[in-house]
Amino acid sequence: MAKTTKASKNDSGKKKKKKKSSKSGPKAKDMKLKAPNENPFESIWSRRKFDILGKKRKGEQRRIGEARSSAIQKRKKTLLKEYEQSAKSSMFVDKRIGENDEGLGEFDKAIMRSQRERQVKLKKNKFNLSDDDEEDFEIGASLGRDDFDEEVPFDEDEEDYGRDDKSAILGQLNSHGSQNAQAAPVEAEENRKKSKKEVMEEIIQKSKFFKAQKAKDREENDELTEQLDKDFTSLVNSKALLSLTQPDKINALKALVNANISVGNVKKDEVADAPRKGSIGKEKPDTYEMLVSEMALDIRARPSNRTKTPEEIAQEEKERLELLEQERQKRMTAADDGSDEDDNASDDNSKLVKDRRAISGDDLGDDLEEVPRNKLGWIGEILRREESELESEDAASNGDSESEEDDGEDEGSDEYDEEQGKTETIKDWEQSDDDIIDTEVEDDDEESDNDAKKVLKIKDHKKVSVKGKEVGTSQTKKEKTTVKHQQSELPYTIEAPKTLEEFTSLIDNCSDDQVIEAIRRIRTFNAITVAAENKKKMQVFYGVLLQYFAVLSNKKPLNFKILNLLVKPLMEMSAATPYFAAICARQRLQRTRTQFCEDLKNTGKSSWPSLKTICLLRLWSMIYPCSDFRHCVMTPAILLMCEYLMRCPIICGRDIATASFLCSLLLSVIKQSQKFCPEAIVFIQTLLMAALDKQEQSKNLQLNNLMEIKELGPLLCIRSSNVDMDSLDFLELMDLPEDSQYFDSDNYRASMLVTVLETLQGFVNVYEELISFPEIFMPISKLLCKLAGENHIPDALREKIKDVSQLIDMKAQEHHMLRQPLKMRKKKLVPIRMVNPKFEENYVKGRDYDPDRERAEMKKLKKRIKREAIGVASELRKDKDFLFRGNWERGRARREEDEISFWLLLENPTFKSLPSFGKIRCRMLEVQRIERAIA
Amino acid sequence: MVRSYKVRGEKRKKKEENYDKEEIEESIVIEKRAKTEEHTAADTEAAERVVDLLSGIPVVAADQSTNKPGVIFIIERASLEIAKVGKSYQLLNSDEHSNFLKKNGRNPSDYRPDIAHQAMLSILDSRVNKAGRLKALYVRTEKGVLFEVKPHVRIPRTFKRFAGIMLQLLQKLSITAVGKREKLLRVIKNPVTQYLPIDCQKIGFSHSSEKLVDIQDYVNGINNDMNLVFVVGAMAHGKIDKDYVEDYLSISDYPLSAAYCISMITNSVERKWKIL
Repeated sequence: MAKTTKASKNDSGKKKKKKKSSKSGPKAKDMKLKAPNENPFESIWSRRKFDILGKKRKGEQRRIGEARSSAIQKRKKTLLKEYEQSAKSSMFVDKRIGENDEGLGEFDKAIMRSQRERQVKLKKNKFNLSDDDEEDFEIGASLGRDDFDEEVPFDEDEEDYGRDDKSAILGQLNSHGSQNAQAAPVEAEENRKKSKKEVMEEIIQKSKFFKAQKAKDREENDELTEQLDKDFTSLVNSKALLSLTQPDKINALKALVNANISVGNVKKDEVADAPRKGSIGKEKPDTYEMLVSEMALDIRARPSNRTKTPEEIAQEEKERLELLEQERQKRMTAADDGSDEDDNASDDNSKLVKDRRAISGDDLGDDLEEVPRNKLGWIGEILRREESELESEDAASNGDSESEEDDGEDEGSDEYDEEQGKTETIKDWEQSDDDIIDTEVEDDDEESDNDAKKVLKIKDHKKVSVKGKEVGTSQTKKEKTTVKHQQSELPYTIEAPKTLEEFTSLIDNCSDDQVIEAIRRIRTFNAITVAAENKKKMQVFYGVLLQYFAVLSNKKPLNFKILNLLVKPLMEMSAATPYFAAICARQRLQRTRTQFCEDLKNTGKSSWPSLKTICLLRLWSMIYPCSDFRHCVMTPAILLMCEYLMRCPIICGRDIATASFLCSLLLSVIKQSQKFCPEAIVFIQTLLMAALDKQEQSKNLQLNNLMEIKELGPLLCIRSSNVDMDSLDFLELMDLPEDSQYFDSDNYRASMLVTVLETLQGFVNVYEELISFPEIFMPISKLLCKLAGENHIPDALREKIKDVSQLIDMKAQEHHMLRQPLKMRKKKLVPIRMVNPKFEENYVKGRDYDPDRERAEMKKLKKRIKREAIGVASELRKDKDFLFRGNWERGRARREEDEISFWLLLENPTFKSLPSFGKIRCRMLEVQRIERAIA
Repeated sequence: MVRSYKVRGEKRKKKEENYDKEEIEESIVIEKRAKTEEHTAADTEAAERVVDLLSGIPVVAADQSTNKPGVIFIIERASLEIAKVGKSYQLLNSDEHSNFLKKNGRNPSDYRPDIAHQAMLSILDSRVNKAGRLKALYVRTEKGVLFEVKPHVRIPRTFKRFAGIMLQLLQKLSITAVGKREKLLRVIKNPVTQYLPIDCQKIGFSHSSEKLVDIQDYVNGINNDMNLVFVVGAMAHGKIDKDYVEDYLSISDYPLSAAYCISMITNSVERKWKIL
């Protein structure tokens, strides 16, 4: 009994395995068998809706009947058997060889049996000890074999599997073995003692190996030395070594190198490099060593000069100046060979000047004219000295008054000076320099904005230099009485002067160039980069210099050249101390403005700016960027200029000149930023109106409302027909007295009109981008047309007027063309909102494109569970159906059986061993019986 | 088995409900639009009162895109077909799959999805569409699959992405917007005529047609409040069927590409309706 249960257990295990194999087995066979004889009535098709090329569809053709029958067959084999077994406590297991395999024939089974028998025999032989026991043992073995070989599978598949397993293991072993194949013998060899022969062989091998090694090393060495030689020769030939060693040694080296090369070449191949062979000549044994030892004693290297920082450069410059000063002092004390020394000094000076020119990078190109003038000779220089002396005297007087006030920048004294200047007698300057402004305008038009200024400066300088000469000559005519004059030499080291007085005393008897040179020296000696406290000094000096500039510009006669020369250092210095410079400028602007307001109150006075103010304005416009939207200096300066134009009444002809100069100054300032400045435009308009006849002018009163100018007489109305237009010199005009006849002449009027027209043209060009251009300039154009219709206008002027008015008309026309009619409730048309479609690359139907990976995975699993559940449910349902049908077949017999047992139970209550299987049914039957009984 | 069927039926019902909902949403939107129109009408009245004060200033009407006739484009015979090439599904085109097509006994030169792509781009890029006057765009493939493209779709400009979107559309049957549930492209039932408005003129184009006209003149001659339906073929060879087309035109002496023909049409319509 026990044995059987055990067997059944084992059996169940085996069955599972079998089920697996048999499950796939018959199905495959079915497919194979049924493929050829296809019964069309058994199959069913589904129609394709979206046919996709290249897609193979599974289950497109289904054979329902066949599938059903195969399923039933399968269940009969598995489920039914299990079911039948379920009620039984034991079962019969057929373990005969090949009996479970249906595919085997009777003959195959026999073969298998015989095979097994033989195998068993073979096995037995191994452990056979004696022939006597053979029989017994065999019996025992055969007896025990059943148990022992239980695990050995009889099925062919199993066997195959086993065999496969074995072979796989074997293969693994083999591979393992092959891996260890080399290792194993080595280990073995090591373990065992070596024979003599082997030892000898080993030694021989080792020695051979070392020899080869040596040969290889030598070769490498040779190569390295060759390489070294080559490098060395290239080094010798290059300049690096040459700079490091002395020339004679270099020669020796070269000789040596040549020798080396040739030797090397000879060694290599004697054919090549024939010409070099000649240079072998002497070949000392120790030349190389000698050279090496010598070179070891040599100076190693001479480092080149380090690039210097700006501070150091400044320091050097300062030291150089100090040195020069010392020499000068020495020469002064010696003073035996005066003239020669002086000559030398002057030569020195000129040299110095030249040096300086060489140093400065900002060479403007005007040096060529100035340098020779330095050597003009004694007379010219002396004369110029005198002139400067005069100036300095003036300045000194100013300085005196200022020193009392003890203020850095004294406006009051300047004003005083100004008035003084006005009352002074006027000298007629014949030379015309008026087209500064005009050239400015033209230049700015022509050049790009950045270059404009530079070019301007150059032109100014040139002009000035030319003018300076003429001035010089004129003065020689005037001042024949040459005062005795000691040539004061400029010291090289100059402390920065604290006050204007100091400064004027310093440059007392100096020429313009010397003044500039002095300023330069002061600046180099007290350079900010040299010492920290120099900043303070330089700031003070800047104030002084600015004051000096103001004073000079107010002087009559005006020394315009030195003003121009002063511009450059002033610009550089204000770049060095921008904050202080800006404060200075603002302070001055404020003072000028208060002064201007004062002047306006007392109506009798002309409130137009003095030449000093104009010069300062020009200077600032050069120093500071005009194009900034808001600038701490330029914005107030522009406002001030505009205010002048708006509020100052025009009384005389000179005012017109001042005003038109201001206009052009404004134009040059505004040009880059294109700021609109209505004052200038309105002023030009009034000027043009002033050129009209009286009766026409009075109509246009609307314009006058904008200005504070009450009445502007026909100041510019040209009366006579024969007029010639000159270009005007502003400085010259400024020098003329207010009531000069020239201002009433038609010549002046015509020239003024030309200038005004040119300025207007400039404004037109600047403002052409403005949207309101036609509104701004069309009235002016009309005015111009009227003006052109005047009687006495000269033809050239008429032409000019027409040009300008045409220009305005053209530009206005352009603007009119671009103008669109005003639209109400105009909305910008908005295109419809586009939406992006969502799609995946390489979309495959049925794949989940959830961006959340976890969720997608979860979904996938759930889906699978569901599918499996459905599959299992349908499977179970089918099983149930199958079983139910099976019961139906056997039903009757079973029922009868049950009934019998029930009756048995009823008859005999002691019979209790009712199978549990029928319990429920029993109860049911009883219930039925009771019911029947009741009925 | 029975139960499962039932469940399926329910599902389908649900879906239909969803679909309705979408439409309801749309209708709500339309109502809103109507309301805004009312607002704008009130505004315009107010504005007109102001205008009376400001004589001489022309009034530009604010928004005129509502209740105006539109255009509908139908692209016929677009060669958009997907196939399983190797292991992946791809939109067939003559450049990449000529070998595959030859192997399957097809003519590679017929597979030109780029024509449809260009045509769709030129329609959706036109000013007519930007002004909101394109009512719909339908594309019918060579296989007879009809799908609708909403006018506010931004069709991918690169061909590769276009192929991707078509691939998905033809497998999934609809493409939604990014971040919305709105369906931008959707496969719909044939025939296309059931979707066209009643008052419309259906105009087909073919080089083979006898009737050669200047498209500008022709378009100008059409009644102003008529919807226009243009049927253009997007195939490499052949011509479109003229079963539902009322007028069958040729607009050039030369055979034109679909995209250029469409741009001619849209240009003429834009000029007619003064869309700048």
